[in-house]
Amino acid sequence: MRICGLEKSYNVGLWRRRRFRALEPLHLDVPVGEVFGYIGPNGSGKTTTLKILMGLVMADAGDASILGHPYRGDVWRQRAGYLPEQPYFYDYLTAREYLDYAGRLLGLERGLRRDRAHALLSRLGLHKVADQPLRRYSKGMQQRLGLAQALLNDPEVVFLDEPMSGLDPLGRQLVHDLIQSLRSQRKSVFFSTHILPDAESLCDRVGLLRAGRLQSSGRLDEILDIDVSHLEVLVSGASSSFMEVAPTGVLDKRAVGDRWCLDVDENQLGRVIRAVEQDGGRVRSVRAQRLSLEEFFVRELGDGPSS
Amino acid sequence: MSRASLRRIAAVAANTHRESVRERVLYNLVFFAILMMLSGLLLDELSVRQDEKLVKDLGLAAMEIFGILIALFIGVGLVSKELDKRSLYPLLAKPLRRWELLLGKFIGLALTLLVNIVVMTMAMLGTLSLTGRGFDPGLLVAVYTIFLSLLLIVAIALFFSTLTSSTLAAVSTFCLVLAGRYADVIRNMSTVLPDAPRWLIDLVYYSIPNFSNFDLKDRVVYGDAVSVEELLWITLYCGTYSGLALLLAFLGFRRRDLP
Repeated sequence: MRICGLEKSYNVGLWRRRRFRALEPLHLDVPVGEVFGYIGPNGSGKTTTLKILMGLVMADAGDASILGHPYRGDVWRQRAGYLPEQPYFYDYLTAREYLDYAGRLLGLERGLRRDRAHALLSRLGLHKVADQPLRRYSKGMQQRLGLAQALLNDPEVVFLDEPMSGLDPLGRQLVHDLIQSLRSQRKSVFFSTHILPDAESLCDRVGLLRAGRLQSSGRLDEILDIDVSHLEVLVSGASSSFMEVAPTGVLDKRAVGDRWCLDVDENQLGRVIRAVEQDGGRVRSVRAQRLSLEEFFVRELGDGPSS
Repeated sequence: MSRASLRRIAAVAANTHRESVRERVLYNLVFFAILMMLSGLLLDELSVRQDEKLVKDLGLAAMEIFGILIALFIGVGLVSKELDKRSLYPLLAKPLRRWELLLGKFIGLALTLLVNIVVMTMAMLGTLSLTGRGFDPGLLVAVYTIFLSLLLIVAIALFFSTLTSSTLAAVSTFCLVLAGRYADVIRNMSTVLPDAPRWLIDLVYYSIPNFSNFDLKDRVVYGDAVSVEELLWITLYCGTYSGLALLLAFLGFRRRDLP
Protein backbone atom coordinates (compact mmCIF):
# COMPACT_ATOMS: atom_id res chain seq x y z
CA MET A 1 0.00 0.00 0.00
CA ARG A 2 1.27 3.44 -0.87
CA ILE A 3 -0.30 6.65 0.44
CA CYS A 4 0.74 9.89 -1.21
CA GLY A 5 -0.41 13.07 0.48
CA LEU A 6 -3.93 12.08 1.53
CA GLU A 7 -5.47 14.86 3.58
CA LYS A 8 -8.84 15.69 5.08
CA SER A 9 -10.49 18.68 6.73
CA TYR A 10 -14.00 19.05 8.11
CA ASN A 11 -16.19 22.08 8.62
CA VAL A 12 -17.07 22.38 12.29
CA GLY A 13 -19.31 24.72 14.25
CA LEU A 14 -22.93 25.60 13.59
CA TRP A 15 -22.72 29.38 13.19
CA ARG A 16 -19.04 30.20 13.03
CA ARG A 17 -17.91 27.62 10.53
CA ARG A 18 -14.23 26.80 10.68
CA ARG A 19 -12.06 24.13 9.15
CA PHE A 20 -10.81 21.34 11.37
CA ARG A 21 -7.84 19.53 9.92
CA ALA A 22 -8.40 15.85 10.66
CA LEU A 23 -5.50 14.59 8.58
CA GLU A 24 -2.43 16.46 7.43
CA PRO A 25 -0.94 15.33 4.10
CA LEU A 26 -0.02 11.71 4.79
CA HIS A 27 2.76 9.79 3.07
CA LEU A 28 3.17 6.15 3.96
CA ASP A 29 4.36 2.88 2.42
CA VAL A 30 3.39 -0.54 3.70
CA PRO A 31 5.06 -3.42 1.87
CA VAL A 32 3.38 -6.75 1.16
CA GLY A 33 3.37 -9.21 4.05
CA GLU A 34 3.97 -6.63 6.75
CA VAL A 35 1.98 -6.13 9.93
CA PHE A 36 1.80 -2.38 10.28
CA GLY A 37 0.49 -0.73 13.43
CA TYR A 38 -1.10 2.65 13.00
CA ILE A 39 -0.87 4.07 16.47
CA GLY A 40 -1.88 7.28 18.14
CA PRO A 41 -4.19 8.59 20.83
CA ASN A 42 -7.94 8.91 20.39
CA GLY A 43 -8.81 11.60 17.89
CA SER A 44 -5.43 11.54 16.19
CA GLY A 45 -6.81 10.67 12.74
CA LYS A 46 -6.37 6.89 12.63
CA THR A 47 -10.00 6.12 11.84
CA THR A 48 -10.18 9.00 9.36
CA THR A 49 -7.27 7.51 7.42
CA LEU A 50 -8.92 4.11 7.31
CA LYS A 51 -12.26 5.60 6.31
CA ILE A 52 -10.62 7.47 3.45
CA LEU A 53 -8.91 4.32 2.21
CA MET A 54 -12.18 2.39 2.41
CA GLY A 55 -14.07 5.09 0.50
CA LEU A 56 -16.33 6.01 3.42
CA VAL A 57 -14.93 9.53 3.63
CA MET A 58 -13.64 11.55 0.67
CA ALA A 59 -10.10 12.93 0.85
CA ASP A 60 -9.61 16.60 0.02
CA ALA A 61 -6.39 15.84 -1.82
CA GLY A 62 -3.79 13.16 -2.33
CA ASP A 63 -3.83 9.67 -3.70
CA ALA A 64 -3.16 6.10 -2.66
CA SER A 65 -2.80 2.68 -4.16
CA ILE A 66 -3.65 -0.63 -2.57
CA LEU A 67 -2.38 -3.91 -3.99
CA GLY A 68 -1.20 -1.92 -6.99
CA HIS A 69 -4.62 -0.42 -7.80
CA PRO A 70 -5.96 3.11 -7.25
CA TYR A 71 -7.68 3.24 -3.89
CA ARG A 72 -10.79 4.91 -5.31
CA GLY A 73 -11.47 1.92 -7.55
CA ASP A 74 -13.04 -1.42 -6.72
CA VAL A 75 -10.48 -3.91 -8.04
CA TRP A 76 -8.49 -4.29 -4.81
CA ARG A 77 -11.60 -4.54 -2.64
CA GLN A 78 -12.15 -8.09 -3.82
CA ARG A 79 -8.81 -8.97 -2.18
CA ALA A 80 -9.08 -6.86 0.97
CA GLY A 81 -10.87 -7.05 4.30
CA TYR A 82 -11.94 -4.28 6.66
CA LEU A 83 -13.07 -4.27 10.27
CA PRO A 84 -14.51 -0.88 11.30
CA GLU A 85 -14.16 0.49 14.79
CA GLN A 86 -17.02 -0.68 17.04
CA PRO A 87 -18.84 -2.40 14.21
CA TYR A 88 -22.60 -2.73 14.11
CA PHE A 89 -24.34 -5.41 12.14
CA TYR A 90 -27.99 -5.89 11.22
CA ASP A 91 -29.63 -7.14 14.37
CA TYR A 92 -32.40 -8.90 12.46
CA LEU A 93 -29.89 -11.29 10.86
CA THR A 94 -28.01 -14.22 12.32
CA ALA A 95 -24.22 -14.39 12.01
CA ARG A 96 -24.53 -17.05 9.32
CA GLU A 97 -27.00 -14.94 7.35
CA TYR A 98 -24.81 -11.87 7.67
CA LEU A 99 -21.74 -13.69 6.41
CA ASP A 100 -23.76 -15.09 3.53
CA TYR A 101 -24.84 -11.55 2.63
CA ALA A 102 -21.27 -10.25 2.86
CA GLY A 103 -20.11 -13.18 0.73
CA ARG A 104 -22.69 -12.38 -1.94
CA LEU A 105 -21.41 -8.80 -2.09
CA LEU A 106 -17.91 -10.19 -2.54
CA GLY A 107 -19.14 -12.37 -5.40
CA LEU A 108 -18.36 -15.66 -3.68
CA GLU A 109 -20.22 -18.75 -4.86
CA ARG A 110 -22.80 -20.27 -2.53
CA GLY A 111 -20.75 -23.34 -1.53
CA LEU A 112 -17.62 -21.30 -0.90
CA ARG A 113 -19.61 -18.77 1.14
CA ARG A 114 -21.05 -21.50 3.31
CA ASP A 115 -17.73 -23.27 3.85
CA ARG A 116 -15.77 -20.11 4.64
CA ALA A 117 -18.48 -18.81 6.96
CA HIS A 118 -18.55 -22.13 8.81
CA ALA A 119 -14.76 -22.23 9.17
CA LEU A 120 -14.51 -18.63 10.37
CA LEU A 121 -17.40 -18.93 12.81
CA SER A 122 -15.72 -21.99 14.31
CA ARG A 123 -12.32 -20.32 14.45
CA LEU A 124 -13.72 -17.24 16.14
CA GLY A 125 -15.78 -19.23 18.63
CA LEU A 126 -19.17 -18.19 17.25
CA HIS A 127 -20.30 -21.53 15.81
CA LYS A 128 -22.63 -22.26 18.74
CA VAL A 129 -24.46 -18.95 18.33
CA ALA A 130 -24.22 -18.74 14.54
CA ASP A 131 -27.98 -19.09 14.10
CA GLN A 132 -29.01 -16.63 16.80
CA PRO A 133 -30.13 -13.10 15.86
CA LEU A 134 -27.32 -10.59 16.21
CA ARG A 135 -29.40 -8.50 18.60
CA ARG A 136 -28.50 -11.08 21.24
CA TYR A 137 -24.77 -10.67 20.62
CA SER A 138 -22.50 -8.95 23.11
CA LYS A 139 -20.06 -6.27 22.00
CA GLY A 140 -17.22 -8.79 21.94
CA MET A 141 -19.24 -11.24 19.84
CA GLN A 142 -20.03 -8.48 17.36
CA GLN A 143 -16.33 -7.70 17.16
CA ARG A 144 -15.59 -11.34 16.39
CA LEU A 145 -18.24 -11.34 13.68
CA GLY A 146 -16.63 -8.19 12.32
CA LEU A 147 -13.36 -10.07 12.03
CA ALA A 148 -15.11 -12.97 10.34
CA GLN A 149 -16.63 -10.76 7.65
CA ALA A 150 -13.25 -9.05 7.14
CA LEU A 151 -11.58 -12.41 6.49
CA LEU A 152 -14.39 -13.99 4.47
CA ASN A 153 -12.72 -13.50 1.09
CA ASP A 154 -9.34 -14.77 2.33
CA PRO A 155 -7.92 -11.28 1.77
CA GLU A 156 -4.36 -10.38 0.88
CA VAL A 157 -4.53 -7.21 2.91
CA VAL A 158 -6.60 -6.62 6.04
CA PHE A 159 -7.47 -3.26 7.56
CA LEU A 160 -8.46 -3.46 11.21
CA ASP A 161 -9.63 -0.41 13.13
CA GLU A 162 -9.05 -0.98 16.85
CA PRO A 163 -9.51 -4.76 16.55
CA MET A 164 -9.03 -5.41 20.28
CA SER A 165 -11.70 -2.93 21.31
CA GLY A 166 -14.48 -4.46 23.40
CA LEU A 167 -12.84 -7.86 23.65
CA ASP A 168 -12.25 -9.85 26.81
CA PRO A 169 -8.76 -11.35 27.41
CA LEU A 170 -9.68 -14.51 25.52
CA GLY A 171 -10.95 -12.48 22.61
CA ARG A 172 -7.81 -10.37 22.60
CA GLN A 173 -5.67 -13.48 22.51
CA LEU A 174 -7.80 -14.76 19.64
CA VAL A 175 -7.21 -11.60 17.61
CA HIS A 176 -3.56 -11.70 18.54
CA ASP A 177 -3.28 -15.25 17.21
CA LEU A 178 -5.27 -14.32 14.13
CA ILE A 179 -2.94 -11.49 13.22
CA GLN A 180 0.07 -13.72 13.84
CA SER A 181 -1.47 -16.32 11.58
CA LEU A 182 -2.04 -13.72 8.85
CA ARG A 183 1.57 -12.67 9.20
CA SER A 184 2.73 -16.28 8.79
CA GLN A 185 0.68 -16.47 5.58
CA ARG A 186 2.53 -13.38 4.28
CA LYS A 187 -0.65 -11.29 4.34
CA SER A 188 -0.48 -7.58 4.97
CA VAL A 189 -2.21 -6.27 8.06
CA PHE A 190 -2.78 -2.57 8.66
CA PHE A 191 -4.29 -2.06 12.07
CA SER A 192 -4.94 0.95 14.21
CA THR A 193 -4.65 0.94 17.95
CA HIS A 194 -3.88 3.21 20.86
CA ILE A 195 -2.80 0.31 23.03
CA LEU A 196 0.95 0.15 22.90
CA PRO A 197 1.47 -3.49 24.02
CA ASP A 198 -0.75 -4.66 21.12
CA ALA A 199 1.35 -2.78 18.63
CA GLU A 200 4.54 -3.84 20.32
CA SER A 201 3.80 -7.53 20.27
CA LEU A 202 2.32 -7.73 16.79
CA CYS A 203 3.81 -5.16 14.46
CA ASP A 204 6.78 -5.28 12.18
CA ARG A 205 6.59 -1.51 11.91
CA VAL A 206 4.40 1.26 13.23
CA GLY A 207 3.33 4.71 12.15
CA LEU A 208 2.87 7.20 14.93
CA LEU A 209 0.05 9.66 14.40
CA ARG A 210 -0.74 12.69 16.47
CA ALA A 211 -3.28 15.43 15.80
CA GLY A 212 -3.65 14.28 12.21
CA ARG A 213 0.07 14.34 11.50
CA LEU A 214 2.31 11.34 11.01
CA GLN A 215 5.07 11.99 13.51
CA SER A 216 7.26 9.15 12.37
CA SER A 217 7.19 5.60 11.15
CA GLY A 218 9.52 2.69 11.65
CA ARG A 219 10.14 0.02 14.25
CA LEU A 220 8.34 0.80 17.51
CA ASP A 221 11.43 0.87 19.71
CA GLU A 222 13.14 3.15 17.21
CA ILE A 223 10.46 5.78 16.97
CA LEU A 224 9.04 5.83 20.46
CA ASP A 225 12.28 5.39 22.36
CA ILE A 226 10.38 4.41 25.46
CA ASP A 227 12.35 4.13 28.67
CA VAL A 228 11.46 1.47 31.14
CA SER A 229 10.19 3.71 33.90
CA HIS A 230 10.06 1.06 36.57
CA LEU A 231 9.90 -2.68 37.13
CA GLU A 232 7.08 -4.65 38.69
CA VAL A 233 8.41 -7.22 41.18
CA LEU A 234 6.14 -9.94 42.57
CA VAL A 235 7.24 -11.13 46.01
CA SER A 236 6.02 -13.97 48.24
CA GLY A 237 6.89 -14.95 51.80
CA ALA A 238 8.09 -11.52 52.90
CA SER A 239 7.17 -10.50 56.42
CA SER A 240 4.62 -7.77 57.11
CA SER A 241 7.15 -5.80 59.13
CA PHE A 242 9.55 -5.91 56.21
CA MET A 243 6.90 -4.70 53.82
CA GLU A 244 5.86 -1.86 56.12
CA VAL A 245 9.37 -0.43 55.92
CA ALA A 246 10.02 -1.12 52.26
CA PRO A 247 13.69 -1.04 51.16
CA THR A 248 15.18 1.81 49.19
CA GLY A 249 14.16 1.70 45.55
CA VAL A 250 10.57 0.58 46.13
CA LEU A 251 8.39 3.29 44.63
CA ASP A 252 5.05 1.74 45.47
CA LYS A 253 3.66 -1.49 46.91
CA ARG A 254 0.32 -3.28 47.03
CA ALA A 255 -0.87 -6.63 48.42
CA VAL A 256 -2.02 -9.24 45.89
CA GLY A 257 -3.53 -12.03 48.00
CA ASP A 258 -0.68 -13.35 50.18
CA ARG A 259 1.91 -11.81 47.88
CA TRP A 260 3.19 -8.30 47.33
CA CYS A 261 3.56 -6.42 44.11
CA LEU A 262 6.35 -3.83 44.25
CA ASP A 263 7.06 -1.04 41.78
CA VAL A 264 10.84 -0.82 41.82
CA ASP A 265 13.23 1.72 40.36
CA GLU A 266 15.19 -0.04 37.62
CA ASN A 267 18.55 1.01 39.09
CA GLN A 268 17.68 -0.32 42.55
CA LEU A 269 16.46 -3.77 41.45
CA GLY A 270 19.46 -5.74 42.75
CA ARG A 271 19.32 -4.06 46.14
CA VAL A 272 15.57 -4.76 46.49
CA ILE A 273 15.92 -8.43 45.52
CA ARG A 274 18.72 -8.93 48.05
CA ALA A 275 16.66 -7.27 50.78
CA VAL A 276 13.66 -9.50 50.05
CA GLU A 277 15.78 -12.65 50.15
CA GLN A 278 17.48 -11.64 53.37
CA ASP A 279 14.02 -11.28 54.92
CA GLY A 280 13.19 -14.85 53.83
CA GLY A 281 10.97 -13.87 50.94
CA ARG A 282 11.17 -14.95 47.29
CA VAL A 283 11.00 -12.97 44.10
CA ARG A 284 8.46 -14.67 41.84
CA SER A 285 8.70 -12.46 38.79
CA VAL A 286 10.18 -9.21 37.50
CA ARG A 287 8.38 -7.40 34.68
CA ALA A 288 9.22 -4.23 32.84
CA GLN A 289 6.44 -1.67 33.09
CA ARG A 290 6.01 0.56 30.12
CA LEU A 291 3.92 3.62 29.63
CA SER A 292 0.81 3.37 27.54
CA LEU A 293 0.98 5.33 24.34
CA GLU A 294 -1.42 7.89 25.71
CA GLU A 295 0.61 8.28 28.89
CA PHE A 296 3.69 8.64 26.76
CA PHE A 297 2.00 11.30 24.68
CA VAL A 298 0.80 13.22 27.68
CA ARG A 299 4.21 13.05 29.28
CA GLU A 300 6.35 13.66 26.23
CA LEU A 301 4.21 16.11 24.34
CA GLY A 302 2.63 17.90 27.23
CA ASP A 303 -1.00 18.13 26.09
CA GLY A 304 -4.13 16.00 25.91
CA PRO A 305 -4.72 13.20 23.47
CA SER A 306 -7.40 15.01 21.53
CA SER A 307 -5.24 18.02 20.81
CA MET B 1 -24.31 -2.95 -16.06
CA SER B 2 -22.11 -5.99 -15.43
CA ARG B 3 -23.31 -9.33 -14.16
CA ALA B 4 -21.34 -8.88 -10.93
CA SER B 5 -23.08 -5.54 -10.42
CA LEU B 6 -26.51 -7.14 -10.93
CA ARG B 7 -25.63 -9.83 -8.40
CA ARG B 8 -24.68 -7.23 -5.81
CA ILE B 9 -27.87 -5.25 -6.43
CA ALA B 10 -29.86 -8.49 -6.08
CA ALA B 11 -28.06 -9.25 -2.80
CA VAL B 12 -28.88 -5.82 -1.35
CA ALA B 13 -32.48 -6.08 -2.59
CA ALA B 14 -32.92 -9.52 -1.03
CA ASN B 15 -31.50 -8.29 2.27
CA THR B 16 -33.66 -5.15 2.26
CA HIS B 17 -36.71 -7.30 1.61
CA ARG B 18 -35.67 -9.61 4.43
CA GLU B 19 -35.20 -6.63 6.74
CA SER B 20 -38.62 -5.20 5.98
CA VAL B 21 -40.45 -8.51 6.38
CA ARG B 22 -38.82 -8.87 9.79
CA GLU B 23 -40.07 -5.43 10.85
CA ARG B 24 -42.93 -5.71 13.31
CA VAL B 25 -44.41 -2.43 12.12
CA LEU B 26 -45.07 -3.99 8.70
CA TYR B 27 -47.28 -6.71 10.15
CA ASN B 28 -49.16 -4.22 12.29
CA LEU B 29 -49.92 -2.05 9.27
CA VAL B 30 -50.96 -4.96 7.05
CA PHE B 31 -53.12 -6.31 9.88
CA PHE B 32 -54.93 -2.98 10.26
CA ALA B 33 -55.33 -2.65 6.50
CA ILE B 34 -56.97 -6.07 6.28
CA LEU B 35 -59.09 -5.31 9.34
CA MET B 36 -60.28 -2.12 7.64
CA MET B 37 -61.16 -4.07 4.52
CA LEU B 38 -63.03 -6.69 6.49
CA SER B 39 -64.96 -3.94 8.24
CA GLY B 40 -66.55 -3.47 4.82
CA LEU B 41 -68.51 -6.63 5.62
CA LEU B 42 -70.14 -4.93 8.59
CA LEU B 43 -70.74 -1.65 6.79
CA ASP B 44 -72.20 -3.53 3.87
CA GLU B 45 -74.80 -5.03 6.20
CA LEU B 46 -75.58 -1.67 7.79
CA SER B 47 -75.79 0.17 4.50
CA VAL B 48 -79.37 0.74 3.29
CA ARG B 49 -78.52 0.05 -0.34
CA GLN B 50 -75.91 -2.58 0.56
CA ASP B 51 -73.69 -0.73 -1.83
CA GLU B 52 -70.88 -2.67 -3.49
CA LYS B 53 -69.10 0.64 -3.97
CA LEU B 54 -68.68 0.99 -0.23
CA VAL B 55 -66.68 -2.23 0.06
CA LYS B 56 -64.51 -1.38 -2.94
CA ASP B 57 -63.91 2.19 -1.76
CA LEU B 58 -62.91 1.02 1.68
CA GLY B 59 -60.65 -1.71 0.32
CA LEU B 60 -58.77 0.54 -2.08
CA ALA B 61 -58.50 3.36 0.46
CA ALA B 62 -57.09 0.97 3.09
CA MET B 63 -54.60 -0.35 0.56
CA GLU B 64 -53.46 3.14 -0.36
CA ILE B 65 -53.27 4.61 3.16
CA PHE B 66 -51.44 1.68 4.70
CA GLY B 67 -49.27 1.28 1.62
CA ILE B 68 -48.19 4.92 1.97
CA LEU B 69 -47.44 4.39 5.67
CA ILE B 70 -45.30 1.32 4.92
CA ALA B 71 -43.47 3.05 2.05
CA LEU B 72 -42.89 6.13 4.17
CA PHE B 73 -41.83 4.56 7.45
CA ILE B 74 -39.61 1.88 6.02
CA GLY B 75 -38.40 3.99 3.08
CA VAL B 76 -37.06 6.89 5.15
CA GLY B 77 -34.95 4.55 7.26
CA LEU B 78 -33.39 2.72 4.31
CA VAL B 79 -30.19 4.76 4.34
CA SER B 80 -30.39 7.20 7.27
CA LYS B 81 -30.86 4.42 9.81
CA GLU B 82 -27.83 2.63 8.42
CA LEU B 83 -25.80 5.82 8.56
CA ASP B 84 -26.80 6.38 12.17
CA LYS B 85 -25.86 2.84 13.16
CA ARG B 86 -22.83 2.71 10.86
CA SER B 87 -23.86 -0.68 9.52
CA LEU B 88 -22.88 0.41 6.01
CA TYR B 89 -19.18 0.64 6.80
CA PRO B 90 -18.21 -2.99 6.26
CA LEU B 91 -20.47 -3.25 3.22
CA LEU B 92 -19.21 -0.19 1.36
CA ALA B 93 -15.63 -1.32 1.94
CA LYS B 94 -16.49 -4.33 -0.21
CA PRO B 95 -16.81 -4.05 -3.98
CA LEU B 96 -20.28 -2.53 -3.60
CA ARG B 97 -20.81 0.84 -5.27
CA ARG B 98 -23.03 3.38 -3.62
CA TRP B 99 -25.49 3.52 -6.51
CA GLU B 100 -25.78 -0.27 -6.38
CA LEU B 101 -26.65 -0.02 -2.72
CA LEU B 102 -29.37 2.58 -3.33
CA LEU B 103 -30.86 0.72 -6.28
CA GLY B 104 -30.82 -2.55 -4.34
CA LYS B 105 -32.58 -0.92 -1.40
CA PHE B 106 -35.23 0.56 -3.69
CA ILE B 107 -35.89 -2.77 -5.38
CA GLY B 108 -35.97 -4.60 -2.05
CA LEU B 109 -38.62 -2.34 -0.58
CA ALA B 110 -40.54 -2.35 -3.87
CA LEU B 111 -40.64 -6.12 -3.61
CA THR B 112 -41.98 -5.93 -0.07
CA LEU B 113 -44.66 -3.48 -1.16
CA LEU B 114 -45.61 -5.77 -4.03
CA VAL B 115 -46.07 -8.69 -1.64
CA ASN B 116 -48.17 -6.48 0.67
CA ILE B 117 -50.29 -5.21 -2.19
CA VAL B 118 -50.93 -8.77 -3.32
CA VAL B 119 -51.95 -9.80 0.21
CA MET B 120 -54.22 -6.77 0.62
CA THR B 121 -55.77 -7.29 -2.83
CA MET B 122 -56.58 -10.87 -1.91
CA ALA B 123 -58.14 -9.62 1.34
CA MET B 124 -60.24 -7.10 -0.61
CA LEU B 125 -61.37 -9.66 -3.19
CA GLY B 126 -62.14 -12.05 -0.34
CA THR B 127 -64.30 -9.43 1.33
CA LEU B 128 -66.17 -8.83 -1.93
CA SER B 129 -66.63 -12.54 -2.38
CA LEU B 130 -68.04 -12.90 1.15
CA THR B 131 -70.65 -10.25 0.34
CA GLY B 132 -71.65 -12.21 -2.74
CA ARG B 133 -70.02 -9.98 -5.35
CA GLY B 134 -67.98 -11.38 -8.19
CA PHE B 135 -64.45 -10.56 -9.22
CA ASP B 136 -64.10 -7.11 -10.81
CA PRO B 137 -60.93 -6.97 -12.96
CA GLY B 138 -61.21 -3.18 -13.07
CA LEU B 139 -60.10 -3.12 -9.44
CA LEU B 140 -56.71 -4.41 -10.45
CA VAL B 141 -56.16 -1.27 -12.53
CA ALA B 142 -56.59 0.89 -9.44
CA VAL B 143 -54.39 -1.50 -7.44
CA TYR B 144 -51.70 -1.19 -10.11
CA THR B 145 -51.67 2.61 -10.02
CA ILE B 146 -51.65 2.57 -6.22
CA PHE B 147 -48.57 0.36 -6.41
CA LEU B 148 -46.92 2.81 -8.84
CA SER B 149 -47.61 5.71 -6.50
CA LEU B 150 -46.01 3.72 -3.65
CA LEU B 151 -42.89 3.12 -5.75
CA LEU B 152 -42.60 6.86 -6.30
CA ILE B 153 -42.99 7.48 -2.56
CA VAL B 154 -40.21 4.98 -1.83
CA ALA B 155 -37.93 6.76 -4.34
CA ILE B 156 -38.66 10.13 -2.72
CA ALA B 157 -38.19 8.70 0.78
CA LEU B 158 -34.90 7.16 -0.31
CA PHE B 159 -33.76 10.51 -1.69
CA PHE B 160 -34.45 12.30 1.58
CA SER B 161 -33.02 9.37 3.52
CA THR B 162 -29.62 9.94 1.90
CA LEU B 163 -29.65 13.59 2.91
CA THR B 164 -30.97 13.78 6.44
CA SER B 165 -32.18 11.93 9.53
CA SER B 166 -35.11 9.50 9.47
CA THR B 167 -37.43 11.98 11.18
CA LEU B 168 -36.67 14.87 8.84
CA ALA B 169 -36.79 12.54 5.86
CA ALA B 170 -40.26 11.34 6.96
CA VAL B 171 -41.54 14.90 7.39
CA SER B 172 -40.07 16.01 4.04
CA THR B 173 -41.45 13.01 2.17
CA PHE B 174 -44.87 13.42 3.76
CA CYS B 175 -44.99 17.12 2.83
CA LEU B 176 -43.97 16.40 -0.75
CA VAL B 177 -46.53 13.62 -1.11
CA LEU B 178 -49.21 15.86 0.39
CA ALA B 179 -48.30 18.70 -1.97
CA GLY B 180 -48.35 16.20 -4.82
CA ARG B 181 -51.88 15.14 -3.90
CA TYR B 182 -52.96 18.74 -4.37
CA ALA B 183 -50.72 19.59 -7.32
CA ASP B 184 -53.74 20.71 -9.33
CA VAL B 185 -54.32 23.46 -6.77
CA ILE B 186 -50.79 24.70 -7.48
CA ARG B 187 -51.46 24.61 -11.22
CA ASN B 188 -54.55 26.81 -10.78
CA MET B 189 -52.76 29.15 -8.42
CA SER B 190 -52.83 31.96 -11.00
CA THR B 191 -56.57 32.38 -10.44
CA VAL B 192 -55.90 33.11 -6.76
CA LEU B 193 -52.60 34.95 -7.30
CA PRO B 194 -52.93 36.66 -10.69
CA ASP B 195 -49.67 38.58 -10.18
CA ALA B 196 -47.58 35.48 -9.61
CA PRO B 197 -45.33 34.77 -12.62
CA ARG B 198 -46.64 31.91 -14.71
CA TRP B 199 -43.17 30.35 -15.09
CA LEU B 200 -42.80 30.13 -11.31
CA ILE B 201 -46.14 28.38 -10.93
CA ASP B 202 -45.23 25.98 -13.74
CA LEU B 203 -41.82 25.34 -12.20
CA VAL B 204 -43.36 24.45 -8.83
CA TYR B 205 -46.09 22.37 -10.47
CA TYR B 206 -43.71 20.31 -12.60
CA SER B 207 -41.15 19.93 -9.82
CA ILE B 208 -43.66 18.18 -7.62
CA PRO B 209 -44.92 14.77 -8.73
CA ASN B 210 -48.66 14.94 -9.26
CA PHE B 211 -50.01 12.10 -7.16
CA SER B 212 -53.57 12.68 -8.32
CA ASN B 213 -52.47 11.12 -11.64
CA PHE B 214 -52.32 7.79 -9.86
CA ASP B 215 -55.74 8.08 -8.30
CA LEU B 216 -58.11 5.98 -10.40
CA LYS B 217 -60.13 4.68 -7.46
CA ASP B 218 -63.36 6.55 -8.16
CA ARG B 219 -63.27 5.83 -11.86
CA VAL B 220 -62.74 2.14 -11.30
CA VAL B 221 -65.37 1.87 -8.61
CA TYR B 222 -67.92 3.59 -10.88
CA GLY B 223 -66.98 1.26 -13.71
CA ASP B 224 -65.36 3.85 -16.00
CA ALA B 225 -62.96 2.37 -18.51
CA VAL B 226 -59.25 3.16 -18.23
CA SER B 227 -57.38 2.87 -21.52
CA VAL B 228 -54.12 1.02 -21.93
CA GLU B 229 -52.54 4.25 -23.24
CA GLU B 230 -53.47 6.00 -20.03
CA LEU B 231 -51.97 3.23 -17.95
CA LEU B 232 -48.80 3.37 -20.01
CA TRP B 233 -48.63 7.11 -19.54
CA ILE B 234 -49.04 6.75 -15.75
CA THR B 235 -46.34 4.06 -15.74
CA LEU B 236 -44.01 6.33 -17.69
CA TYR B 237 -44.81 9.22 -15.36
CA CYS B 238 -43.94 7.07 -12.35
CA GLY B 239 -40.77 5.81 -14.01
CA THR B 240 -39.59 9.31 -14.88
CA TYR B 241 -40.16 10.83 -11.45
CA SER B 242 -38.89 7.77 -9.59
CA GLY B 243 -35.80 7.66 -11.81
CA LEU B 244 -35.21 11.34 -11.18
CA ALA B 245 -35.58 10.92 -7.40
CA LEU B 246 -33.19 7.95 -7.45
CA LEU B 247 -30.71 9.87 -9.58
CA LEU B 248 -30.79 12.80 -7.16
CA ALA B 249 -30.41 10.37 -4.26
CA PHE B 250 -27.35 8.88 -5.90
CA LEU B 251 -25.82 12.27 -6.70
CA GLY B 252 -26.38 13.39 -3.11
CA PHE B 253 -24.96 10.18 -1.67
CA ARG B 254 -22.13 9.60 -4.13
CA ARG B 255 -19.48 11.68 -2.39
CA ARG B 256 -21.08 12.09 1.00
CA ASP B 257 -18.78 11.57 3.97
CA LEU B 258 -20.21 8.90 6.23
CA PRO B 259 -20.40 9.98 9.89
